[in-house]
Amino acid sequence: MVTRRGFIKAGGLALFGISLGGIPGFLAEAVAATTRPLLFKKKKILVCIFQRGAMDGLMAVTPFNDQYLQAVRPTLFMSAASNAKGKSLIDLDGKYGLHPSMSAFEQVFKDKRLAIVHGIGSPNNTRSHFDAQDFMESGTPFKKGTTSGWLNRAVGLLGHEAVTPFQAVSLTSSLPRSFYGDNAAVAIRNLSEFNIQLRGNPKGANLASKSFEDLYDQTSSGLLKTTGKESFEAINMLNKTNVAAYKPENNVVYPTSALGNSLKQIAQLIKMDVGMEVAFAESGGWDTHFNQGTDTGIFARNVNDLSNSIMAFWNDLEKYQDQVTVMTMTEFGRTVAQNGTGGTDHGRASCNFILGNDVKGGMVHGTVNPLAKENLEDGRDLAVTTDFRSVFSEVADLHLGINNDKILFPDFSGSHIGMMKI
Amino acid sequence: MTTYNRTPSLVLSLFALVIAFCSFVRAESNADNKLNMPYKAAGLTKEEAAAHLLSRFTYGAKVGEVEEVVKKGLDKWLKEQLEGDAKDEELNGLLNSYDAINLTNKEAEDAFPQPARVNRMAINQGYVNKDSVNNGNNKYQREAVAAFMKDKGYRPQGELFRQLINQKILRAAYTKNQFREIMTDFWFNHFNVALNKNQCAIFVPAYERDVIRPNVFGDFDQLLLKTAKSPAMLMYLDNFSSSGINVPVPGTENANTVSLEQRQKIKENIQKRFLQVRQQRKGNGGLNENYAREVMELHTLGVDGGYTQNDVTEAARILTGWTVAPMGNEGYGAATQKIIDRIGENNLRNKGFVIDGDFFFAMNRHDNGEKTVLGRKFEAGGGYEEGKALLEMLAHHKSTANFISKKIATRFVNDNPPQSLVDKLAKTFLAKNGNIKDVIITMVNSPEFWSKEALREKTKSPFELAISTVRSLNADISQPYQLYTWINRMGQQMYYYQAPTGFPDRGQYWINTGSLLNRMNFGLAFASQKIPGININLLALNDNHEPESAVSALETYSKLIMPERDLDKTIDRLKPMLNDPELQQKVADAAAKNNQNNQNNTVSMQNTADTDKMKSGKGKKAIENPVVRQQAGNSTILAQVVGVIIGSPEFQRK
Repeated sequence: MVTRRGFIKAGGLALFGISLGGIPGFLAEAVAATTRPLLFKKKKILVCIFQRGAMDGLMAVTPFNDQYLQAVRPTLFMSAASNAKGKSLIDLDGKYGLHPSMSAFEQVFKDKRLAIVHGIGSPNNTRSHFDAQDFMESGTPFKKGTTSGWLNRAVGLLGHEAVTPFQAVSLTSSLPRSFYGDNAAVAIRNLSEFNIQLRGNPKGANLASKSFEDLYDQTSSGLLKTTGKESFEAINMLNKTNVAAYKPENNVVYPTSALGNSLKQIAQLIKMDVGMEVAFAESGGWDTHFNQGTDTGIFARNVNDLSNSIMAFWNDLEKYQDQVTVMTMTEFGRTVAQNGTGGTDHGRASCNFILGNDVKGGMVHGTVNPLAKENLEDGRDLAVTTDFRSVFSEVADLHLGINNDKILFPDFSGSHIGMMKI
Repeated sequence: MTTYNRTPSLVLSLFALVIAFCSFVRAESNADNKLNMPYKAAGLTKEEAAAHLLSRFTYGAKVGEVEEVVKKGLDKWLKEQLEGDAKDEELNGLLNSYDAINLTNKEAEDAFPQPARVNRMAINQGYVNKDSVNNGNNKYQREAVAAFMKDKGYRPQGELFRQLINQKILRAAYTKNQFREIMTDFWFNHFNVALNKNQCAIFVPAYERDVIRPNVFGDFDQLLLKTAKSPAMLMYLDNFSSSGINVPVPGTENANTVSLEQRQKIKENIQKRFLQVRQQRKGNGGLNENYAREVMELHTLGVDGGYTQNDVTEAARILTGWTVAPMGNEGYGAATQKIIDRIGENNLRNKGFVIDGDFFFAMNRHDNGEKTVLGRKFEAGGGYEEGKALLEMLAHHKSTANFISKKIATRFVNDNPPQSLVDKLAKTFLAKNGNIKDVIITMVNSPEFWSKEALREKTKSPFELAISTVRSLNADISQPYQLYTWINRMGQQMYYYQAPTGFPDRGQYWINTGSLLNRMNFGLAFASQKIPGININLLALNDNHEPESAVSALETYSKLIMPERDLDKTIDRLKPMLNDPELQQKVADAAAKNNQNNQNNTVSMQNTADTDKMKSGKGKKAIENPVVRQQAGNSTILAQVVGVIIGSPEFQRK
């Protein structure tokens, strides 16, 4: 908790250029007493997207030459060859084909800024969503009682004092498991709600806000006092900009989905320079037991939203791209064979996407062996050939500059797979 | 004693003696553990002491409750709370409209099937055309499934969870047995299960109702055993699926009637066969260690309680076969039910199976080899009883006494309770068979409980903040779920804490920039009646006396809402602003101008007109008279003052 308390000390306010007239005396003093700290611009930002429900990695990125796959997915398999019926896969390298609804990713993959890891998953073979998400987010696949999440530990390992309440932000209504822990992390459903407000009575809210600021300044409880200060500073930071009237750059239009909306707000926070280093967003609807579809349908809509949201974010942040890495994750993959209801059931390995200038892009990393029954895990699922911790720790280490994997992923002794530039 | 003249007579008589002795000790010790609360020595008045008791053992004092407790007598009040069996007519009346909260696990499983199961059934029973599934007609599919549910009388699970959440809010706000409800929350959080795990969600209502709430003041070992056997916990921590190598050995059927020597022989045989089979299979079968690990780390010994990975594995082996009994008509374990029907319950019992309500001990999945946990040997063939013995051992372990005592002290004293107090509680825990009531009495008899470091040193959780607001403003709740939305926004998604640790009990966990702002906003919204389904009458709290000024409102209401506290600083800090002569009019005007959505019936006519005007884009001028509002008992300025009090740092503490 010590880190968070460094906010006043480090003079975060001066940095945000808040006019002194608008803030109470105690804040002005704090500002005057300090010098400008390091610019946040030097800091890297990791944006994680959890695809809850388990994405079918074999449909997102298909090993399209695999005869076995074609045989066990009679109505789900798509070909990379252009054919009359529906759209075909986007051939990435002669072996893997990207789902046609993810065409937004094609260019960044060619530009070598988007990497894919296939066959990624957890060493724990649970096929329960709850358990698998829990293990992936705590970062300890065999231990339920781990109190903290891996991203919270990552924040603790950044190696510098937090100078902002926004160091780790989750665009969710409650704190995700990945963010549980002792380091400061905040869940914000909507940036415009981050204020003292009273429906139908903004003036009353404004007056109350001043009362609250005064009261929290004088309280004898240290915790309430410091957090109170931080809260009002945070309001001031956000209020510099009219968050509701945000205009993305490059004429970007974000999808109106939950994910698009979350990423748009993460982009706003990045541009506001509020000192965010880890951000978290969610995407749902991946549990496609029924009626998964092919080039159209549920799965197509999901990957379309995922890729379009990410690319809107990426293009909106053109000036910040050197700072940002985006990584997706999902709790497990789905059965190699389709089930009796046009869908797929809970499986083992899936794939994930990593986008950024620090990434060794334009490649599908990892191993997918021929999907003959004898190569499958338990005779049914894509085998996990890359431990998710290998990838998560590599991204955290090489993008955020973390160098203590023993704390980040205790009990893990594996190594990086070389999907980041060194 | 001489009437026992068969072989095991000596053992039996010894056993009887032990029991007699134990009950003798219990009777003695209870007599020792009398209430003797040293608040005077700590320099507190009766009123201050009553306020402290109310802050710790209720969800917040109601207006006038401090005086009531003083009048009743502090000891008597606490004793009644420790019994926790007062009749709750008013609450029960409110709960009557919730038809699902008293369902058994089996009934719930039948009425609220899991979505995936519903889909499967709808397809199998021809409600959903299989072709449509493959065609991708989602709308058709949704409608067909809905029709199927309606025909079969199935209800969506969300309805059950909503009722669960609503009843928790209503109970906390209105039960007379406040302490029992506080302890229910405490133990639920200690033995946490979560609705976000599908497999256990349906069992959570009965878990709280039957496993936790009736046992919160009893002996810890009972609580531990009952949670271990509950479907919710068996599912949440996966023990239901854990199985081991079972080597059936002829002769075990009649284990109760054979001699000690024969029994020894049988055990040796089992162990021999077991080792052979394990050698062949190279492993422990389908062992799942999740529950075994957490029962030690989180439920009993604590993470530094002195166990090893090997202890975890061995304990998991002991608990193999502990699973959930078949449920409902089409629910969990339909296949197991067929086996039970075929073999017959009595035959199963003779083979060592146990069917106890919703709990099922599947002997054929139980690892019946020899095990050692924390240095204690469990001989081969121990069956269900060795699991009970294991939990008994854990419940009475010294590390458990320390771990539980520290957790109780953290909850009721402060976030870093003094070791001296923890030691006292642990001593009582060990001496009194882990009796929770005795531990609590020891706590309130200790000076540490009444020290300056304890008074108002805890930070309310969001749930506690919301409920204490309801209680101190005497609010009527007609839509509890609206409060839940706020509680969630303030950072406590009740029943959805994913990790088995439960919510951390530390002020630092609850207070961060986002959650703190929401606490302030909650105060404002609540006091100005902007939360749908919550009704308050602020003037009635003060016997319908209208405060003469904003400052007198502040003074009067802060004392009503936070009795027996030193509020001078709070009041001084706010006074100058409230003394601004223009303030009252400013606030009232602002509210009138902007208010489009007031729920107050007295002014609803004006509001409708106002809203229409706003919609037509013409008048921005206020047509609402602030005085009308004041007559309704919730003047804007008063609401504003009360809102600031609820959002103030002082009200976040307890």
